[in-house]
Amino acid sequence: MKKIDIKLTVNGEQHEMAVAPGERLLDVLRERLGLTGTKEGCGEGECGACTINMNGQAVLSCLMLAVQADGATILTIEGLQKGADLHPLQEAFIGESAVQCGYCTPGMIMASDALIRNNPSPTQGMIRDALANNICRCTGYDRPVKAVLKAASQMKERKNG
Amino acid sequence: MDKLEVVGKPIKRIDGIDKVTGAAKYATDITLDNMLYAKLLRSPHAHAKVTHIDTAAAENLPGVKAVATILEVPKVLQYWYFLRTGKKEKQIYLRDNIVRFVGDPVLAVAAKDEETVSKALSLITVTYEKLPDLQDPVVALEEESIKIHSKGNVAMKAEKEFGDIQEGFNRADVIIENTYHTSKQKHASLEPIGSCVAHYQPDKRLTVFSSTQLPHWSRHYLAGALEMPLNKVRVIKPYTGGAFGGRCGLIHGLEVMCSWLSRKALRPVRLSFSREEDFIATESRHPMIIKMKTGATKEGIITANDVKIIADVGGYGTHYIGVIADCLSTGGALYKIPNYRFYGTAVYTNKSLCGALRGYGNPQMNFAQESQVDIIAEKLGVDPLKIRLKNYRPKGDMDPVLREKIQSNGLPECLEKGAAEADWDAKRCQLPGITVIKRGIGLSIMLHGTGAAGALPDPASATIMINADGSVNLLTAAADEGQGNRTVLAQVASEVLGIDIEKITVSDTDTAVTPLDCGTHGSRQAYSGGLAVKAAATEARNKMLFFAAKSLGVKQQKLGIKKGRIYELSDPENNILIHELMRQNQIGDMSLCEQVIGSFSGIASAMPGYYGAIFAEVEVNTETGEVRVTKLTSAFDVGRALNPDLVEGQITGGGAMGIGFALTEGLIVKDGHILNGNLTDYRLLRACDVPEIVPIIVESNEPTGPFGAKGIGEGAMVNVASAIANAICHASGVRLTDLCMTPENILQKLEEKTA
Ligand code: FES
Ligand code: FES
Repeated sequence: MKKIDIKLTVNGEQHEMAVAPGERLLDVLRERLGLTGTKEGCGEGECGACTINMNGQAVLSCLMLAVQADGATILTIEGLQKGADLHPLQEAFIGESAVQCGYCTPGMIMASDALIRNNPSPTQGMIRDALANNICRCTGYDRPVKAVLKAASQMKERKNG
Repeated sequence: MDKLEVVGKPIKRIDGIDKVTGAAKYATDITLDNMLYAKLLRSPHAHAKVTHIDTAAAENLPGVKAVATILEVPKVLQYWYFLRTGKKEKQIYLRDNIVRFVGDPVLAVAAKDEETVSKALSLITVTYEKLPDLQDPVVALEEESIKIHSKGNVAMKAEKEFGDIQEGFNRADVIIENTYHTSKQKHASLEPIGSCVAHYQPDKRLTVFSSTQLPHWSRHYLAGALEMPLNKVRVIKPYTGGAFGGRCGLIHGLEVMCSWLSRKALRPVRLSFSREEDFIATESRHPMIIKMKTGATKEGIITANDVKIIADVGGYGTHYIGVIADCLSTGGALYKIPNYRFYGTAVYTNKSLCGALRGYGNPQMNFAQESQVDIIAEKLGVDPLKIRLKNYRPKGDMDPVLREKIQSNGLPECLEKGAAEADWDAKRCQLPGITVIKRGIGLSIMLHGTGAAGALPDPASATIMINADGSVNLLTAAADEGQGNRTVLAQVASEVLGIDIEKITVSDTDTAVTPLDCGTHGSRQAYSGGLAVKAAATEARNKMLFFAAKSLGVKQQKLGIKKGRIYELSDPENNILIHELMRQNQIGDMSLCEQVIGSFSGIASAMPGYYGAIFAEVEVNTETGEVRVTKLTSAFDVGRALNPDLVEGQITGGGAMGIGFALTEGLIVKDGHILNGNLTDYRLLRACDVPEIVPIIVESNEPTGPFGAKGIGEGAMVNVASAIANAICHASGVRLTDLCMTPENILQKLEEKTA
């Protein structure tokens, strides 16, 4: 099958590669670039485990073809941390005990990151709606929601402070 | 209770950073050099004989490295039975040409990439001779029904009676009898069940990465199936994306098949199930039909309970013995009902197989029994809370099934605290309202066992090694699926050793490195694992004190340890830092060169029950039949919360899963086909659906537990459905006896009521 050349910027690094027309962005990230932090929970757009950030928006990478992402700037969970410092969302997920098995966590954090970028002071209800596409089987959602609230307020403080 | 430094504190989980940064590796994230990819071909029929398999074209396809069929690879292992008997290995590995449910594996192909695997599968032809299939367990029990297994359709029958059931009913003023149906719930762990990488090497060693809950027993079953010595099989459990019982043993068609392919190809092979495969072909909760007849005096003393259960095992059985036994042991022990009769039958049908799911048989049994208790309370005009206080089996009583004395039971406190938080007295008296939306509150209680000591082989072990810098390596095979038991075990070690928790590293779960542990099931790891770590750490502590005594010139008994320092109790100035002492022991003193190592292996002395009371508040829309849970208050007696944050995580997570079991979660099977095998049609609760869940921790100090602890993981969901059913009845006046309690079911009951 004919391959198509694409360019991607992932977590600040540029990549050029030839992909099959049907190749999913999720597989490019996981299998080709070894970025296995992005998870597959269903492959059908139903669980949110594969959420990444593409050009500033939360995207389900299992529903996106690699060719559709040509030229895009992508952020995955591996790129969220700045140097040795965890991102406030990462810190809050640990601090609020919002992580159990952790399989939903990268997707939850990436979806929350996109939410906070668009709305720096989300309410509980907004967070619950924004995370409605991210299934968590372990926590019952209360702790993750609290973690996002905390991270958002912390980020605002840091920005203002 | 003694003053504790680390235990009882909400220590942050030790694997947090790995999980929030994406560094945590799960089985599907593992890629080995030269690895092949595999996939299964599954039966499209609910019941059929495989008469011919033609794999020639597939095997000739470039890139295909191995094909394995069910004629050569054992499909099912009789887990617990095998462990207990060991001898009859050959017969218990089922290897035949019959497929028994839609999705039953027929063969597997391994090839250089996934594309080639798919191509190869499309080139294979399997010829089936269709057989009549059985979907209804009651029909499957009939004499003249076809036989799904050679011995027939009854997997097991259990019978037990204590007291005199007839006498119990004779004494009763009120007798009720109802039949309950429960659903085929799925684990729906976010990492699909069924992911492993197997690597068989030319020197006849096998390494398997699998997200199993039972690494050591999985090694045992694999070694048996492949006829290999145990030391040549290595099972490594990487991070696991939730389990809830779904990985309680080998997965049907997974590890054995994958290892077989690897042995044929002599290359590493990865086999991962899709979400759809997880839904249609891995284990689920046993649906049950529970007929229950209960009698009580007019004072509200329950005198008799007569239970008949039919459990639908599906095409193959793995855990049905334990599941049925669990119905009896939890149902029979929760209340001091003097006359109790239990019949349990596990029946094969041509549905996907059933196994362990959080709570085992207890959520089903509890739904029936706690509904019965409420119905009796209502008939007698007794407060549902008071009838439970009158009848529960208190501390000091004998457990009639386990024949163990109950050494701790915090149920009264759970009821009291839960009632206060939920404002039970006031809300129970409130009228449901005159609008279409009716409000109500209901409660239920539960008991669940911690571990399985005495009932099953249930070992736990730990090794503690203290390094020359005073840091510690803790070796344990306690599998952590996300509950956080590795964190709790580090806390236990830290507490006993007097060494900061940051200095303790918990090993990977790897059978080549970590001593025997039966795995994570039965809410046992904080308890059994905790006991093992406590014993190993105590041995290491005593050895440190022995050396410190020599160095400080005082008797061992006169020494204490705190924050990495060993000191004389009466003269704390006389002290030595652990790392100085350990360095001296291991390196400084060349005549000694000894590392302090503590270890333990064995079984807990008991299987203590842990208890819980749940208060559910609901709104029932009497026009649409919709139910909204508005609040859950879950009070649980966990003996001692070794880490309250993690305990609360179990309670809230279990609460959400329990609401799903009550209202939305069940596989719909039609003619053997699962119709809702995806995450859209199988409805899990989402962030916007979950109500406020208030966890309340009650500590009764279990004397046999480490620092007083017992279990929590499974119990948190056990009595959610019964509490909701009782609340729905309070709100709307209708009694739901079938799960899930869907709007259709509720509307139908409402119509029957007005008719
Ligand atoms: S894997 Fe993409 S939504 Fe589930
Ligand atoms: S922490 Fe396990 S699915 Fe969310």
